[in-house]
Amino acid sequence: MNSGNNSNTPATAAPVMPSPKQTQTTAKTVDTQSVLKRLQSELMALMMSGDSGISAFPEEDNIFCWKGTITGSKDTVFEGTEYKLSLSFPADYPFKPPKVKFETGCFHPNVDVYGNICLDILQDKWSSAYDVRTILISIQSLLGEPNISSPLNTQAAALWCNQEEYRKMVEKLYKPSV
Amino acid sequence: MQDQERDVADAEKETLTSETDDWKKYRDDDIMQQHSAIQAEQAVKVPFVGDKEPLSSLEAEYHLGNSIVLKKIKVLSEQYAAIRRTRGDGNCFFRSFMFGYLEHILDSQDHNEVHHIKANIEECKKTLQSLGYAEFTFEDFFALFLEQLDSVLQGSEDSISHDELLCRSRDPSISDYVVMFFRFVTSGEIRKRSEFFEPFILGLTNTSVEQFCKSAVEPMGEESDHVQIIALSDALGVPIRVVYLDRSSCENNSINVNHHDFIPTSSDSDVSKTTNPSITLLYRPGHYDILYPK
Repeated sequence: MNSGNNSNTPATAAPVMPSPKQTQTTAKTVDTQSVLKRLQSELMALMMSGDSGISAFPEEDNIFCWKGTITGSKDTVFEGTEYKLSLSFPADYPFKPPKVKFETGCFHPNVDVYGNICLDILQDKWSSAYDVRTILISIQSLLGEPNISSPLNTQAAALWCNQEEYRKMVEKLYKPSV
Repeated sequence: MQDQERDVADAEKETLTSETDDWKKYRDDDIMQQHSAIQAEQAVKVPFVGDKEPLSSLEAEYHLGNSIVLKKIKVLSEQYAAIRRTRGDGNCFFRSFMFGYLEHILDSQDHNEVHHIKANIEECKKTLQSLGYAEFTFEDFFALFLEQLDSVLQGSEDSISHDELLCRSRDPSISDYVVMFFRFVTSGEIRKRSEFFEPFILGLTNTSVEQFCKSAVEPMGEESDHVQIIALSDALGVPIRVVYLDRSSCENNSINVNHHDFIPTSSDSDVSKTTNPSITLLYRPGHYDILYPK
């Protein structure tokens, strides 16, 4: 991991003061090999886990972009629906979270019309302890337990209290992707 | 006249909606991007780990300020010679501990201590496994710290100098990995002994132990409090002294600088009574730096 470090750092180096430019390109200094290894491990773990209602797989030729699927849990208004998601991993993964979006439209208080998701673990509460499996499980449980206090979709948040009407809306707007 | 009023009202409504639209433009991405911009700005001013400075540099910071703090710095200077600052990015406790500990091993070449901490690290690994953490989420961080431990011991091909240790501590691809290693160790210890830590955590936040670990220990940039310090010190078996520099004063106006020694619970009680911790950190509200005794 530090093999590249010895060669370009003279022993008598003056203090390295990272410039803002360097900090922005931090990603490049992180070992790509270790990111690849980590993503491969995640894929293996996900395939072995046999969790029901979640799955994900890298796109052809690019392990940094995955397509995922979650199904609505039983006894929630999303039961019987299936949602496709895209996950794109930054080069400094797992220090930074992947960008996760719904590809299938989802009428949910914490999902906007573009498929953006408001979930703390995908933003400021992200940590390297999460992985694709735990992300998908978290999104799946977010479906049934929305955070009504800070909605992205205010209409959905307002309707949430009426589960019967909400279910009708989910059925009406659901357009499964082929 | 009425029409005009309506126009004004409409115009106001328009500016109002366009303002809310403006706000909507600030997506989480933007906020996170702004966050990194602020971090980059900080980075120019203070490296992750600074150079060793004489304690008098601390005095200069307060030359216009509080006289109690200045008096306390005088008291401090009787015992301590120097300070090494760390960046205030929420990781300062872990970063200070990282440098303080590795520098201590580099200076002391204490092979017994390295042997001792390695055994504890092995335990930490088992703890995380038994708590259900997927091995691939933490193994790289563990491996990287063990590599640093080996390299501060002299006499092998991979041995490093003091300057190289400083460079590595300023290199995010090493420094951040070590910080994350400590976050895993700390989290594992807190969750393993959740009954012990629960009352402390309830005193800080109104969350469960698990939730506390997920939101206040594991994410990078989350600040550390005594709960994290106790857990890290216990898990690794490394005593830590924290010296507190704040504006508080005693009733009789005498100036004392308080410190607290975090002594690992598992360590031999005789040892803990007789030896001073090798790692001393200076705490000022919200921030930790490294202190060097005379």
